[in-house]
Formats: sequence, C-alpha cells, structure tokens
Amino acid sequence: MLRIKEFTVYVIDDEEDIRKSLTRSLTKRGYQVESFSSAHEFLENHDQDKPGCLLLDYGMPEMNGLELQEKLNEMELSIPIIFMTGHGGIPESVKAIKAGAIDFLEKPFQQKVLIAAIKSAFERVSVINQDVEDAKALKAKFETLTTREKEIAQFIVQNPADTSSKNIGRQLDVSPRTIDHHRARVLEKMDVTSVAELIEKALKSNLFS
Amino acid sequence: MKLSLGAILAIWLSGLQFVAVLFVVSFYFVSSERVLLDHATTLIGEVGRSSTEHSKGFLEPAIRATELAKRLIESDIVKSEDTEELEKLLFQQMQVVPQLSGMYYGDDAGNFVYVMRSEKHAEFRTKLVHRSGGDVSTELIWRDKNYDIAEIAVDPDDNFDPRVRPWYMDAKQEQNFVWTAPYIFFSSQRPGITAATPILSSAGQFKGVIGVDIEIDEISRFLSSLDIGDTGIAMALSGDRDVIAHPTTNFIRQTNKENALQFIKIDQLEDLVAREAFGNLPSLDQVTSEQEIESEFQYNDGKYASILIPGSNHDLPWSIAIYAPLSDFIGGIEENRTRNIWIAMTIAMVTGLIGLKIANRINKPIRDFAVRAGLVASGDVSKSNASAQTYPELEEVSETLASEIAQRKTFERIYGRTFSLASRGMAQLSPNDGHFIQVNQQLADILGYTTDEMVEMSINDILHPEDADSYISFQKTMHDDYEYNQEKRYLRKNGDIVWLQVNAFLIRDQKGEPLYAVATIDNRTAQKKAESKINELSRDLSHFSRVNMMGQMAEGLAHELNQPLTSITQNVDAALLTVNEQPSADPELVEILEDMDRQAHHGAEIIRALRGLVRKDEGEQTKFDLTELLDQTLQLLKPEANEFDISISFEPQNIPDVFGNRVQVAQVVMNLTRNAIEAVETSNAKKRKIVIKTKPQPECIEVHVIDTGPGIDPSVDLFAQFESSKRDGMGLGLSLSRTLIEANGGKIWYEPKIKGRSRFCFTIPTAVIN
Repeated sequence: MLRIKEFTVYVIDDEEDIRKSLTRSLTKRGYQVESFSSAHEFLENHDQDKPGCLLLDYGMPEMNGLELQEKLNEMELSIPIIFMTGHGGIPESVKAIKAGAIDFLEKPFQQKVLIAAIKSAFERVSVINQDVEDAKALKAKFETLTTREKEIAQFIVQNPADTSSKNIGRQLDVSPRTIDHHRARVLEKMDVTSVAELIEKALKSNLFS
Repeated sequence: MKLSLGAILAIWLSGLQFVAVLFVVSFYFVSSERVLLDHATTLIGEVGRSSTEHSKGFLEPAIRATELAKRLIESDIVKSEDTEELEKLLFQQMQVVPQLSGMYYGDDAGNFVYVMRSEKHAEFRTKLVHRSGGDVSTELIWRDKNYDIAEIAVDPDDNFDPRVRPWYMDAKQEQNFVWTAPYIFFSSQRPGITAATPILSSAGQFKGVIGVDIEIDEISRFLSSLDIGDTGIAMALSGDRDVIAHPTTNFIRQTNKENALQFIKIDQLEDLVAREAFGNLPSLDQVTSEQEIESEFQYNDGKYASILIPGSNHDLPWSIAIYAPLSDFIGGIEENRTRNIWIAMTIAMVTGLIGLKIANRINKPIRDFAVRAGLVASGDVSKSNASAQTYPELEEVSETLASEIAQRKTFERIYGRTFSLASRGMAQLSPNDGHFIQVNQQLADILGYTTDEMVEMSINDILHPEDADSYISFQKTMHDDYEYNQEKRYLRKNGDIVWLQVNAFLIRDQKGEPLYAVATIDNRTAQKKAESKINELSRDLSHFSRVNMMGQMAEGLAHELNQPLTSITQNVDAALLTVNEQPSADPELVEILEDMDRQAHHGAEIIRALRGLVRKDEGEQTKFDLTELLDQTLQLLKPEANEFDISISFEPQNIPDVFGNRVQVAQVVMNLTRNAIEAVETSNAKKRKIVIKTKPQPECIEVHVIDTGPGIDPSVDLFAQFESSKRDGMGLGLSLSRTLIEANGGKIWYEPKIKGRSRFCFTIPTAVIN
C-alpha cells in the first residue's frame, strides 16, 4: 500500500519564485517535492519508478505543459498531471482534461483546492500502484508453473469461450484426463478458486499481452 | 423646296426658251409699234410740210404779181394815175398767173381799177371806179384774152369805195404786205383770200393799195388729192380757226344770219375726228408759232395721229392740219404682228415640248442612277441593275458609292457583331429622353430584362432612386458633348441593386445634330461588393485590434501579476503552517498571514474580472474562404507596402474553406505581414518582396508569410508577451497572434532564415464538411 510519504509532487514551472514557494508550502504539508524549471529538465532527470504527480505550469517557453502531457502519454508514463495557468483559457483546459489531466488550476489558487487535487492524484496513483503490484504477484506465481501448465493456463485465458477439458485436450493433443489434472495444479499454484477468476486476473494484469 | 433635276431641266429648257420667245415677241411688239408710230407721224409731217410747200407755191405767183405791180407803179414805169396802163398791167398779170381770180388797185382818192376773170361776155372783166369831187362813175369793160374789148357797160348804182375795204385799210395801216382773212367770194361762192400791198410814192408817201384775189378752192382740191394713208385728212385752218380748206368742200361753207356764206369754225365742223384733233386748239398763238404740233389721240376706239403746221404771215396765211388713223399705217403690220405672235407662241409651245423631251432624255440616266443608288443603298449592290445609258461621271460616282456602301455594310455588320458579341453591356440611347434604341444581350442579362423589354424602356426606368442625379448628368453630357463616365447604382428587374460603370458618348450626324448615344456598360457590382467587404474587414480589424490590444495587455498583465500572487499565497500558506507548528502560536501573526492570503486572492479576483471583461469580445467562428480573406487583407496592406516600395505577391490556390474567426485570422495575417514589411524596410536587401502562400494540409491550411528581411535573433522568445526585436515594439503583436491562432485551433511558428528568406507560418483548421 502506497503511503503519502512515498508520494512525490513534481513542480514544473519556469519561474523560480513559484517553484520555491510551492516547494516550501507543500513540503510543510508533508509531501515529497521535486522542482524543475522546464519540461526538458523534468524528462531528463526524474525517476520514473517514484510514484507521484506533476504540478505543471501550462505556459512555458519551448515545451509547454500541454506538449509535455502529450509527450508523457507517448512514453506511456501514466503520471497524473495538475495544470497551473496564469491565464487559463477554456479550450486549453478542456484539451488538457481530455488528455487525462487531474485538474486545471488558475493561478493563484486556493490552497485547499490544490491539496484536494494532489489527493485525488495520490488516490489515482495508489490504485495504479496496487494493480501493478497485483500483476507482479500474478506473474511471479505464473513463473512457478511447469511448461505444460503454463501452456494450458495461457490457452484457457486466451480462449475463454470453451474451456472444457475435451476441447483443450484436443487442441493441445493431450488426453482430457491429463488436462483435468494439470488444470487443478494451475488453479492451486496461481492461488485462484476458479477458471473464471484466473481469466479475470490474467486479463487485468496483461499476463499474456 | 428642292426641285428634282428633271424638274429643273424641264423648267429651264422649255421655260427659258418660252420666256425668250415671249420677250422677243413682246419686244418686237412694242418696238415695232413705236417705229410704226414714228413712221406714221413722220409721214403725216411730211405730207403736212409738202402741203405747206404746195400752198406756198400756190400763193407765191400771186405775191410775186403784186410785188411786180408795186415795183412798176412805184418806179413810175406805170403811172398810177393812168388808168389804162394800170388796167393793162393788171390784165397782163391776170393772164400770167392763173390762180388769181382778180387784181386791183385802189388809190387814196377812192379811184379803183379792177380786173377779174369773167364767165359772161368775155374771159376778163374790168371795173373802173372814178371819183372826182363827189361824183362817182363806174365803168365795166369785158375783154378777151387778147385784150380786145367785147362789151362795155356803165353801172350807175355801183359806188364801190376801195378805201373802206378791209384789205385797203389793213395794207394802209400796216404799210406792208398783208393777207386778209380768207373768205368766200360773194360772186363765185368759192373760198378765197386777198393779198394787199401799199404803194408808196418816191417820197415815201402812201398812194394806194394793190390787191389780188386768189381762189383757194384749188387748195381744197389739192388737199383732197393727197394720199394720207387710206383715210387721212388734210385741212387748212385760218388764224380764226376757220376751216378754209377741206377735202369735202361742202363741209366748210355755211350761211350766216345775213344769208351770206362764211367758213365754218373748226369746232363746228362735221368732220368729228378733225374736231377732236384740232377743235380745242387756241387760235392765233398756235398759228403764229413756228412750231409744228404733233399729237396722238383716241377717238371712238380708233387711234389717230395728228399734226398742225402753222403758216407764216407772209408766205402762207394759214395752217395745215392733218390727221390720220394709225390703223391706216400699222393696221397691216398689226395684223401681221398678231399672226407673228401666234406663230411665235406655237413655236414656243413646240420647242417647249421638245425641251421637255430633251430634259427627260437628259434626266433619264440620272433618274436611273437615283434608282440604282437607292437599290445600292438598300444593300442590293449587284451589277445587274446597271443602266445601259448613263454618263461616265455618274458611272464613277456610282462605283464609288457602291464601294462606300459595301464598306459601310461591312462596318455595320462588324459593329453589329461587336454590339451583340461584346463581353460588356452595350446600348444605343436616344440623347433626348434616354430611351433605349438598341441593347445587346449582355446588358439585358446584367439588368435581368429581355432585350425586347429593354427597347421599350428608358434609362429612367432603371435608375436607383438615390442616384437619380445620374440621369441629369447624362442629359447634360448628351447636350454638352462631354463624355459621360460614371459608376452609379441601377436597379435590376427584380429590384436588386447593380453597380454599373456607364461610359457614353454622343454620335452626331453631318449637320451636327445629335443622332444617338452609344454606351458601354460594365457591371461593377462584384467589385463593389469586394470593396465593401474589404472596407468592412478593415473596420472590423481596427475595432478588433483596438479591443484586443487592450485585452492582450490585460491578459499579459494578468499573467505577470498572477505569478507573484501565486508565490505570495504559497508563501503565506507555508508561513501559516510554520507558525502553527510552534507550541504557542501567535494568534495575531496567524491573523496577519490569513489577511495576506485573502488580499492576494482579492487582487487575483480583480485581475480575473478585468480579463473577463475583455474576453467577451471573442467573436463567433464560421466557415469562410481563406483565399478571399487573404486577398482582402492584402488589399488593405498594399498602400503601406507601396510606400516602402515593397511588392506583396499572393498566388491564390484552390483550397477548401476553413473554420474560424475571420477577423481574428485577418488580424494575424495583418500582424505578420506588417512585421514583414517593417523587416524588409529596415534591411538593405535588393529584393524587397513579401510572398504569401497557402499550403493545404490534411486537416488544416498552412499560411506562410515569407519576407526578404534580416531574420530574427534566435535569443528572442518571439511569441512571448512584452518581448520584441523591434526597437519601439511592445512585444504584443506576435503574442496576440499566437493567442488568436491558438484560439482558432491553429498553430503559429517561425522558421529561421533559409536562403535569405525568413518565414512566419500558421495553420487554420479546414472546415468539416457536414
């Protein structure tokens, strides 16, 4: 379970006063804060494994907030973004929210609004984080299966319409009895109670994709 | 009135010779009459003068006889006292001079010797009267021609006294030769006259008077023998207006109260013509004068000429008067003349007819020519109508005319085709009322009528009510001969307004009278609309730039102020947390910090309100034609570019419509192009050129503004507010442009200088087809 202390707020703003004051106030409230003066600096230096959110200024030279959002989406880095803008325009905010932004804050903002946004980001990261850990666990259990068991588990997940022993045996050229036996072993090793649960967990964790 | 050549020829050829003949005839008529009359008068005058001469010749021997007797007596060759010698002398004279009817001598003592012709006893008779004392003896002696006595008698009753006779007294009184007034002899009852001359002694003393009696019947006979025309009459008139000789002798005698014969007065003469001719002549004056009196007069429809030749006292004691009817002289000639006039008239008629015929002959080729000219003029130029008989001169004229007309026809055909095929509207107009005489299809199309409808209309019918003065200026043009060239509003059939550029000028005929006006008409409506669109755009842009510049400044300020306000609020927040961490937080400090936070936010609210105020004017977004907008915008910039000798070129491309706010996009184009103009202007580049290009992309259109300016320093953040590479720039233009382009869903960027050209580009989304 992710804890607030492990959650980092990445402040990206070209203006130093903003970075400094935000770092100060958020640190006081117990957040890990890292600040960057540009999108490029962030991309080059931040630690992808550290859970956190972006507190991103919209209007910056070279690469603005929106462009950074696009870039991160391209890189499949699902880090929640809270936009800040000095002159918030509705079209930009709509675009940003559509692309997955948590919120679009107009400077100067009330502190409680900022905190609420950060909390909502934290929750989203927490959920993502849990999913990632669950997938990791499932993967670890899957690795404990024999080759034949892996083969049968994969077949079941990828062909959820017909999971009868007869069908699986015919497809894999193995007798249905042997399939029954292996399947029981797989369910046991994967720590699931039914084939349906196996399929659900495997799909959620993208076990075979 | 103009006469045809035929009429002129006829009138002149026949009329002129008719007039000539008439003139000659009448001249002949008048002049011949004059000559004839003169001739008649001369003739009468000559007759008169010869009569006078004859009369003189008749009287002359008698005068000579008295003169001779007088000389013989006065020179005492014959003694006046010797009666016998006197008788012999008188007898001799009587023998020699047959005119004498008697000759006598009377002396102062009253003695009288008288020899006269006799018809009784012998040829002559002598009467001798002797006076001595108171006794008077009268002896009569008849002698034959040999002077032999045939009879002697004594008349005791006769006491004739010569001294009381008029001839004696006259001669004595005058002491000279005298004529008595003519009278009618008592004895012979014939007219006669007495001449008397006084006899003087050698001492000059009066002794007696010699007298002769002359019978003047002879004169009447002579006068009647004269041939004066057919019926001319010659007369002799005494000084007392007595007619003493007349061809009709009976006329001149009458019996007076005493039963004596006497001459008749001219105004009592039975010859009425003579009475008319000479009746009112005064008596003596005329006779004594030497003047001949000629006259012409009218009597009873007859014309007469008359002459009066007065005699002289000595030679001729009377006047000769002659009259004659003119018809006697010119009657034949007048007849001849009448005949001649008839002949002349006939000749005139005949020659007149010939003249007409000739005129017709002369005129015929001309008439044919006129007919031919008519045919040619109506377009039949074929040679088959050529008349065989014509004149070479006309032939040439005809040729020229035909080729002229052929040329004109060609021209008219070309003109007609030009008229109907012209790409512009054309019309022929009446210069007086502006009525359409002819219009071409193009004009009818422009105005939405058919050509048939239009020729029933006048320019008045298509005038726009607010441009009605254009008709007045058209009228003025048509009358002052200016060229009319104006762009005005007119109304189409459906009531739409069209802007027409009307160029009209007046065609005049050879006399300078206005014939019609030719107008070429261009439809300027599209241009007018474009112009008005450009003007509208210009207005919108200036309004927009005014509002937006303020908005942009507010926006920029808001951004700049919001940054520090954000820092303040964050710092306040941090401060509050810090204070609250203290075991005994100072409540006053907390309150101060909370106030600061509230006030910072209050400031931010004010800025937000200001920004909201300006942002209202964002305008609506629509689908529009970007090419048209670029064209219009560049039209507005042309003057600035021209001022700096910079050319702006834009090649329109076929691109789809775009979606956005026209005015905002126009503002961006304006900003970028204006920057480009300024950039080129500051550079010393040879090429001073700005090129605008459009480039279709999948979902948008790229617009490039390319200039030959110096490019931009890379260190400048072009699109940031309050950043400028220009000395006096505010740094709002590009930042505003970016705001605008982004608001319209596009992007804007700068491509640094490559090959001497730097370019600003922006995109604008294409309109989604519904």
